[in-house]
Amino acid sequence: MMIDYKKLNLKCGLEIHQQLDTRKLFCDCSSAMKNEQILTIKRKQHVVAGELGEVDFAAQYEFLRNRTFHYQIFSGEDCLVECDEEPPHPVNRKALEIALQIALLFNCTIPDEIHVMRKTLIDGSAISGFQRTTIVGLNGYLKYKDKKIEIKHVSLEEDAAGIVEESAGNVTYKLNRLAIPLVEIGTGLLIGHTPQEIQEIAYLIGIVCRSTGKVKRGIGTVRQDVNVSIKGGKRVEIKGVQTLGLLSKVIELEVKRQLSLPEVKEETRAVNPDGTTRFIRPLPGAARLYPETDIPPISIDKKTIERIKKRLPEPWTKKLIRFKKQLKLSDELSKQILRSDYLDLFEKIVKKFKVSPSVVANVFVSTLKDLRKRGEAPVENLTDEDFEELFGLLEKGKIVKESILDILLYKSKNLDISIKDCIKKLELETITEKELREIVKDVIKMNRDKPVEKIIGIVMSKVRGRVKSENVVKVVKEECNK
Amino acid sequence: MYSERVQHFLDKKRINVGDEVRLIKDKKTYEGILMPRIELGDKDCLVLKLRNGYNIGIKFERNVKIEKLKGHKKLEKFPARRFEQKPNLPKVSLLATGGTIASRIDYLTGGVKMAFKPEEFFFTVPELADIITFKKIRLLSSLASEDLWYKNWQQMAEEAAKELNRGARGIIITHGTDTMHFSSAALSFMMKNLNKPIVFAGAQRSSDRGSSDTVMNLICSAHVAGYSDFAEVGICMHAESSDTFCFFTRGTKVRKCHTSRRDAFRPINDLPLAKVWPDGKIEIMNENYKKVSEGRIKADIKFEPKVALLKAYPGSDPKLIDHLVKDGIKGIVIEGTGLGHVPTSTPEPERSWVPHVKNAIDSNVPVVITSQCIWGRVHPYVYRNLRILDSTGVIWGEDMIPEVAYVKLGWVIAHTKNLKKIKEMMLTNYAGEISKRSDPRTFLY
Repeated sequence: MMIDYKKLNLKCGLEIHQQLDTRKLFCDCSSAMKNEQILTIKRKQHVVAGELGEVDFAAQYEFLRNRTFHYQIFSGEDCLVECDEEPPHPVNRKALEIALQIALLFNCTIPDEIHVMRKTLIDGSAISGFQRTTIVGLNGYLKYKDKKIEIKHVSLEEDAAGIVEESAGNVTYKLNRLAIPLVEIGTGLLIGHTPQEIQEIAYLIGIVCRSTGKVKRGIGTVRQDVNVSIKGGKRVEIKGVQTLGLLSKVIELEVKRQLSLPEVKEETRAVNPDGTTRFIRPLPGAARLYPETDIPPISIDKKTIERIKKRLPEPWTKKLIRFKKQLKLSDELSKQILRSDYLDLFEKIVKKFKVSPSVVANVFVSTLKDLRKRGEAPVENLTDEDFEELFGLLEKGKIVKESILDILLYKSKNLDISIKDCIKKLELETITEKELREIVKDVIKMNRDKPVEKIIGIVMSKVRGRVKSENVVKVVKEECNK
Repeated sequence: MYSERVQHFLDKKRINVGDEVRLIKDKKTYEGILMPRIELGDKDCLVLKLRNGYNIGIKFERNVKIEKLKGHKKLEKFPARRFEQKPNLPKVSLLATGGTIASRIDYLTGGVKMAFKPEEFFFTVPELADIITFKKIRLLSSLASEDLWYKNWQQMAEEAAKELNRGARGIIITHGTDTMHFSSAALSFMMKNLNKPIVFAGAQRSSDRGSSDTVMNLICSAHVAGYSDFAEVGICMHAESSDTFCFFTRGTKVRKCHTSRRDAFRPINDLPLAKVWPDGKIEIMNENYKKVSEGRIKADIKFEPKVALLKAYPGSDPKLIDHLVKDGIKGIVIEGTGLGHVPTSTPEPERSWVPHVKNAIDSNVPVVITSQCIWGRVHPYVYRNLRILDSTGVIWGEDMIPEVAYVKLGWVIAHTKNLKKIKEMMLTNYAGEISKRSDPRTFLY
């Protein structure tokens, strides 16, 4: 059944959260999330006064009284600030600058003075009981199909702690994710779009963030919340869509779900891996925000804004044209690499090494996807340095592009050895034409009566990944014709 | 407070803090509530609470236009909730002196206010209503602890004695943490024949956050004040970073040893008196304590404020001592290095403290030697320099914490001016401040 979303008056609002690739927001801890756990601390949380009614208070009191929170602390990635044992340090200037860049890329107005706020959280995911957040841009827009999509705000906030497990009143969190800088981009109400279009808008927002070259990549570094409502219905908030490609499906399924119900309730739902959702709680009231008095307001003067404006990254529309014209990428590949987590690394590599841009793009867009699909290769283990080493060797002719998949597969499982060593282990070092010719001669000698195609096949199996295939064909033909 | 010109502008427009306003600057429009200016930042910047709850600052310039909208928000919205006091629970009196622990936050402005009605304590820590009843809650001062001094100690002691004599089962004193161990030492000396618990409690994280240590510290303090057998002055604060249990530690053997951690208060040269769990379990760690009994008590609050605490360090100028003596100081405590050293046989004779210390003592000013090591005991003989210092007639403060020796000296001098008698009293153990033996378990406990 085709759904007419216009007729249904589908309304969506997006909130996109993107982690920044800097140290933490209010201390000097690493945000790498790679180190070992060193301690656990146990805390209770309490209802804090506010504008709560009696009922809310009693319910929250009961909820918190019956819960103990266990916080895992990680070496180098958590300090007393994350433990809620030391006041926050001044805001991370690098992160602030990236957030301001993003706000300006979305054409936002920057406040003259930025005020850090405390947003109350009661699920324990903020060890202090609140998350620090600040608005860095207001009233912006994004162009999509010649329309202006309203960007209501861009804020810079601390990520919350990641949950490990929950059972019988005990909730365990990892503190290494707490306070990783996060940019939140909130759109205005998107009306009259299909789910597919809303997904494209989300993609675009992602591309703009990524164009700064300073955002994190990989699972969990981008999270999207989407509000969905249809004609005559209520607003349902869906939290934590982690893969962009899933968004349109999530919206479609939510519309179908709402259509199937006699009455829709305002609620918050969480996404399952297949795009369906599950109820988590009734829709909370407006978040309670109050000033973070430990951090003085930050003045953003016109000079600062001008300086950042001058250094803004190339807009994605220009980038797309450049990829096609200068780098000779196909339209499809250009768009894929623009959307890729590896956009900044791609650009760095094609600038640094004389290698075919489409080969590099294909590695990031297809090869890594293939590896991920196989399920056996932890692709996220591959570092920027690994890729640089790989393409450096490709530039020098030490490997051929056909062997890249095998090398990356091996490397992702063998972290302590270099790409060079992987190549040695896999015997994938290129051979010279002279060596190739010797092999070809041997094969011909042993298979005198076989046709050329067969000879090519046998040679290929011996030198796969060590020499360009067109060279094999060329040399075999030359030798057979002698 | 906004700058004069901003305030003038607002006055002219009859706009008050809390009003809903529309602000236009550079063709951009903002709507929200005008907030008061916090102390930090640019006083020319108008603070607006936007509809989404966020605050932003907009610099006031000539082109700023502002108009009043309909709404107005009362900015101080402290919760008012009623709690019933339950009968038949131990009657405890609470004396509030200020500090983080007894403060409430205003959720709109972030401003902090002192709480002093029982309901307000129950609001922060509703659990208290099941543990104790408040016989009386008195706000003695609203001072940060660095601003407290001997007059406040005297007031705390007198009020505590009054409440105990009128039937309180115990006393909780809420106090800023920085100088809490000075106050607990002062009351340890002043409450001479104490027969009930006096518990100091504070907070390292303010009560406006869900993670505040106020809750467990007050709950555990209520258990000590309402149920324990300690007729002692002590400090009840987190024992570890986790919210597991508190230490109740003798008021003369405890010190703030960390600027910000919950478990900042450590016992010094002593074991804590007890571990106290929020469920009421009290595990005695140290048998050396006075037991709860009946009878009237009297606060001996005499105190000589003209005492000083000096630190000896490489390059320190001993002429400071002469200035103090000239200025009429009545007693000096020195935080020496190591076993109690001061610069003594220095290559530059003018840097030696010894003649100056001798001069002070000759002028009838007692000098007490303690150690900046914090843990351990001072000693007069181990090194030659110690023996030289000893020959001036200084008082060796045993294993007293420098801050405790300072408070004790003020209390002692208020009782006698006789140097010999002062020495005798300084070396008398009145409130567990001197331990005869150094228990091997007590270092970094």
